[in-house]
Parts: sequence; C-alpha cells; structure tokens
Amino acid sequence: MNTSSSEHHPKQKWEKDVKKTTERFPERKETFHTSSDITINRLYTPKQMDGEYIEEIGFPGQYPYTRGIQPTMYRSRYWTMRQYAGFGSAEETNERFRYLLKQGQTGLSVAFDLPTQIGYDSDDPMADGEVGKVGVAIDSLKDMEQLFDQIPLDQVSTSMTINAPASILLAMYIAVGEKQGVDPEKLTGTIQNDILKEYIARGTYIYPPKPSMRLITDIFGYCQEYLPKFNTISISGYHIREAGSTAVQEVAFTIANGMAYVDAAIEAGLEVDDFAPRLAFFFNAHNQFFEEAAKFRAARRMWAKIMKEHYGAQNPKSWKLRFHTQTGGSTLTAQQPDNNIVRVTLQALSAVMGGTQSLHTNSRDEALALPTEDSARIALRTQQIIANESGVADTIDPLAGSYYVESLTDQIENEANAYLERIKEFGGAVQAVEEGYMQREIHQAAYDAQKRIESKEDIVVGMNEFKLEEEIHADLLRVDEALEQAQIEKTQQLRAERNQAAVDQCLLKLKEAAGGTANVMPYIVEAVKAYATVGEIANVLRGEFGEYSGM
Amino acid sequence: MRMKPIRVLIAKPGLDGHDRGALIIAQALRDHGMEVIYTGLRQSAIQIARAAIQEDVDVVGLSSLSGAHKSLFPKVVKALEEQGASDIPVIGGGVIPAEDIPFLEEQGVKKIFTSGSPTDATAIYIKQLIHKRTINAPKKIAHIGIAVESIDTALPFYQHTLGLEVEAVEKVESEQVRVAFLKIGETMFELLEPLSDDSPIQTFLTRKGEGVHHIAVEVEDIEKRLQQYKEQGIRLIHEQPKQGAHDSQIAFLHPKAANGVLFELCQQGEGE
Repeated sequence: MNTSSSEHHPKQKWEKDVKKTTERFPERKETFHTSSDITINRLYTPKQMDGEYIEEIGFPGQYPYTRGIQPTMYRSRYWTMRQYAGFGSAEETNERFRYLLKQGQTGLSVAFDLPTQIGYDSDDPMADGEVGKVGVAIDSLKDMEQLFDQIPLDQVSTSMTINAPASILLAMYIAVGEKQGVDPEKLTGTIQNDILKEYIARGTYIYPPKPSMRLITDIFGYCQEYLPKFNTISISGYHIREAGSTAVQEVAFTIANGMAYVDAAIEAGLEVDDFAPRLAFFFNAHNQFFEEAAKFRAARRMWAKIMKEHYGAQNPKSWKLRFHTQTGGSTLTAQQPDNNIVRVTLQALSAVMGGTQSLHTNSRDEALALPTEDSARIALRTQQIIANESGVADTIDPLAGSYYVESLTDQIENEANAYLERIKEFGGAVQAVEEGYMQREIHQAAYDAQKRIESKEDIVVGMNEFKLEEEIHADLLRVDEALEQAQIEKTQQLRAERNQAAVDQCLLKLKEAAGGTANVMPYIVEAVKAYATVGEIANVLRGEFGEYSGM
Repeated sequence: MRMKPIRVLIAKPGLDGHDRGALIIAQALRDHGMEVIYTGLRQSAIQIARAAIQEDVDVVGLSSLSGAHKSLFPKVVKALEEQGASDIPVIGGGVIPAEDIPFLEEQGVKKIFTSGSPTDATAIYIKQLIHKRTINAPKKIAHIGIAVESIDTALPFYQHTLGLEVEAVEKVESEQVRVAFLKIGETMFELLEPLSDDSPIQTFLTRKGEGVHHIAVEVEDIEKRLQQYKEQGIRLIHEQPKQGAHDSQIAFLHPKAANGVLFELCQQGEGE
C-alpha cells in the first residue's frame, strides 16, 4: 500500500485522499470565504515544491505528517473539545459530565482523586484527607456505574487520566459498558497509562518500572483483541512540561518514553503494526505561541520518521502521531485570575495551529482551586469561539511556510533528536528515568525559569509586574469535607454486601497470573465484576510486584 | 550570629505527586546558604515529624497542591508536638486559597506562601524566623522626629501647651537640619527644621507637609542588626551605622520596609 504512494506525486495522492475523506466526512461548508468574500483554499503550498518540501513538510495526511494527520483537518471536523473534570463523589461528577455534554462538549475526560490514582481505597489510612480532592473517588465498580449513569458508552469517547492502576479502571469501564449492553469492541476512549512520566514528573506511581511496563504491554495485548477502538496509552509530555521542562525537552522525553513502550511491546511479542495505531500522545500548550505551534509539528514529523524508519512499521496509521493537548496549568496565575482566560486563549490557538486532535482548555481559577461550573463553561466557550468565529480552522496548517515557524520546527526536531541520542546512551528511557537523568534536566530548566521570573527577566502579567493591591477570590469550588466519610461508608457497606468468597477467589487467581507470565487483564476484569475494589486489586499486585519508593 | 547554617526539611505530605515547587524552593533555600533535606513524595505526618527530629532541622516546609492542606498541615504540627518537637516551626506553600490561611495559622502553621510568592520571600522569612532569637528587642523609643517649617514657630506648642522642657537645640550641618530635643518621660520629641532646600527635611515638607517624620528606636546591636537586615533583603537607607548626635550611632531603614514608616536605629555612645 505504501509502495503505491511513491508512484504518484504526493499532491495527487493527497487529492485522492481528500476525495475519499470528504465522501465519508464532508467538509463543514461547500466553500469557505473570508469576510471580504475571498475564497479560502483547503491548502496553501509553495509555488515551487522541491524535494526538501516534499520530504520534510509535505501534505496533510501524508508522511511525515508535518502539516497534520488528516487530509482535510478541521475543514471536515473540528478537534474534539474535551474538558477534564471530576471531583468529589461519582454522583457529583456524573452531574458535571452531563452538564458539559449538554453544553456541546464532545468527549468526556475523567479526573480521579489521588487515592484512586495510587491504588488506595477511600478508607485506607494513606487516603486520609485526599478523598475526592483532585478528582472523583472510585473504589469499586459501583462508583463507576454511578459515574457513567445515563451516559451511553457507545456514544461518547472517554479519556481517563489513570496510570499505575489503568488496567483496573479500564476493566471497570468495560464492565459498565457490558451492563449497558455495549460490546467492548464498540468502546472508544483513551487511558493515560503512561507510567514513565509518573516517575519523571507526576508522581502517581505504584510499582517499580519493570512490572509497570509489563502491565502496560498486557493492556496493549488485551485491547488489540477486545477493544480495537480504544487508545491504550496516552504518552504524555504534558506533565513533563508542567514540571518545568522546555518545549524541546517535552518533545524529546515524550518521544523517548514512547519508544520505550514500543520496545517493551515488541519484546513482549507484539507486532508493531498491531498496537502502534492505538498509541496516542498528550502535549502541553504553553505560552510562547510560535514555539508551541512548531513543537507540535516537529513532534509529528519525528514520530513518523521513528516509526517508519527505526521500527519499520508498514501501516501508515502506525506513523501518525495523534495527540490531545491541554493548555499549561502552571502558566496560570493566582493573581488577577481573569487574565488566565486570555492566556488560555492564546495557548489553545497554538494547539489548533499545531493540528491537535483534541483539546482541554484550563479554567481561569485553576491556580486557586478546582474550577467552578462558570469557569469551566468559559473555558469550553473559548474553544468554541476559536472554532466557530476566528476562521483559523478554515484552511489547513496556516503557519506552514512561515520562515520563522519552519525554522523553529526544524530546530526543535534537531535539539530533541540530540536528547534522544543522549537517552540512547543511557540504554533507553527506562534506564534514563531510573538514573534520574530526565528529572535533573527538568529541574534545572524549572529553576532557571523561576529565577528569570524573580529577576523580572521574564514578565508574568499580574504576578511580577502590572500588579493589583488586594484581591478577593469569591466563588471558589470547595469539595465538601463530609464527602470523605460518606465515601468511606459507601465502600465499607459494599464490602459487607458483596459475595466475599467470589472476590477472594478472583483475587487469588489474579495473584497467580501476576506471579506468572499470563496477561493479567482478564483476571482484573473478573475481579472488578465481582466488586473487588481498586485498593484490593492494587494490593494483590503490590504483593507480587513490590512498590516503587522514589529516587 | 549563628555559625552553623539553617537546616530546613522540605516535605510533601499526602499523595500529591507535583514536586516542582518543592524542588525549586529547596534549591532556592540552598542558594541562600541553608541545608535542605527533601523527603520525597507521599510522606505521612508522622514520617515528616520523625525526619524533622532526626535531621535536627530548624524549620519544616510543607508543600501541597492537591487541596488536602487543611487536613494534612495541622497533622504535621500535631505530630511534631506529640514527638516533643513543638519548637520546630512549620511553614507551608502550594495551591492554597487565601481563605484557608487563617484556619491553618490557627492550627499552628506559622506562615503560608501562596502561589506566586517569590522564593526569596520564603528564604528571608525563614532567616527572620530563626534569627529572631538572636536579636534583642529594642529597649525603648529613643525619640519621635517631627518635621516643622520653623522650630521657633513650633516650640510654643511643645513648651507651653504641652509643658515640656527644651533639652537642646543643635545644627547638624551634614544633614542641613536644625534640631530641638524635648524630653518626655524616658523618650524625646525631636523637632526638625530644614536649613536649606537641599535638606532631606525640606523634601519631606514639600511632599507631605509638616508632621511626624520618623521614629527612632534604641538598640544595643546596631551593626549586627544591619548585617542581618542586609542578608534578609530588608531595604535600608544606611547599610553601615553613621555618626549621630552625642556620640551615638544611627542608621535609617527604608520606609518601604515598614509600611511607609521611616525608622531610625539609634545606639547610644559608650560614655552615656
């Protein structure tokens, strides 16, 4: 199939693809015009297309995908507007989900509380004070059923920010689907499932790197068979950037991690073209507009080359870097929080200029607390305004051909490749993480940035310049402190009412599977269906795998 | 001055894994010459208290971004108390709404630094907190300085209305000022009259008109204080003591350091 691509000029190939795509997904309008009735072309290209243009920039939907992964990009469909939400109880979060869907959001994104993310039940002493704080508390399938109550899983795609216990929450999602009568193969969505960046930047790890990598490849194998439309991992630069990395480091470390997952899956006996099309990425949209747009373009080109040339993937779907973007949380200021709306707008625009597949825009109050409903709506409206009013989605990759942006794209790729070389010298990302290499690089960049802000070399409006005297923060969202107790009681009641013998048996079987080499996923699915809790399942695996205790 | 550096324990209580802030503050405090121990993630209150005691730290800094601070920070204070180490002060930072600060302070947390606080502010605060014990409180107000257009016109109020006695009237050429001292109990009023347009008192009168100009506090450790203030980044007008009246040594702090009040440090000469 890819040999035929070389027979035609890439432009003709692209035009053929456009025809095929628009038959399935017609463009939003017959023709696109500016306010002055100037016709907007689908794509603008240089007058002379030399070999370098074809090889490095090319056409949307064509290798190396610098200009985007689909032939018509946002002319057919806007990016998916996907706001991350979750707090308190499953019932409350379910209400927020249904509110967001009613407001025109097109995908769900679940935030879990920290005990869930680290595999503790709400009544575990380690969960003290954290239940329902940064996301929804999920202990058992019962909570998951409430979380998706009246939300048909065959009609929404759901992204779950879950890593170390990803297999458990995915198993619960499958079980909820079955209860709704939805076959696993119809489920769409993403689990984050990116453990390497947890060691590097985000901190919600449970097990040591090696068994963690095995859980991930078990998920790859299971989903390939039963959930072919589900994204099995979202390889995340977002948190690496939030921890203070530069744009180049974000791309480099994310791609290095991505390669580690591909290596692990191949080592586990999977065929690259069987799992690679389900790999997804997750990036940050930070402040410097052009650098960010260039970063997305560079990342796409790098991944395509690596998958095709390094891993020899044959299926073009394996070459395409599909990514979700979230605007940079750490760029938001607690001072004059309304200014954050403007920051988010610019960051979101850079993600759209970079060709993102889905986008989360942060709420203005996130430097202070979890977003209120008002703030969450403004954040969603920001995306809707960019999509519907600005006209930036009417032509593909409008920044292409800018001397500046193309040069930035090249330089980011070069510098990120230099990092990949260094990581290769360590023996790959897993080793580099274990030796703390990425952590140190990020920390140095973060400290330098902080010093620049404190010396006012970098201006942060409202924080170190253009300040206001007094600020009162009205209307912050507070998680009810009584929630923790209610959640604990709910889980304890569940334990009293379920068939304990069935739970024990499922956990025993899981223990055996984990101790051997079998894929653990089917055992986890059985355990959650018997209402074994997140903590119980994670504890069985802790017993077999051990716990990671940090650097 | 203490010879050994301040020791700080930076800790992440709870499950929150975001330690960019904790790592940055740790390095900033090291840059300020402190010895910093970072606990790593997911520490319980008891683990933090034990580490603080074992490491013999002067202060514990907590960081939390998950919203669990109201439950976690007081637990650390309590754990320190229970381990007999209530003398180790606890400070905190992270994503903490201003409304929660009074509650946390009530629970024994000394100070909260919210997001956007410069790292230097934290360092300065810790130095003040720890060095406080080595500085003696000023003994009294040496005098209150009052700027006047003319001493001769102002004196009748002080002499006749208040009934005070004039102690001395002097010219200080270096400051282009004429001063009159009136004793009141153990302290004095100092009337200041400009001798020329270059006088700092003239500048004050032009900007603000007549009124209270400065407060002088009597100290016994002027050089040590100035040294320490300098390290702590307190804004000073004089970094070294200068000669005042009657063999005294004086130095002015910048009014920006003290909510717009001009303070003078004043140390009496040996002879008095």
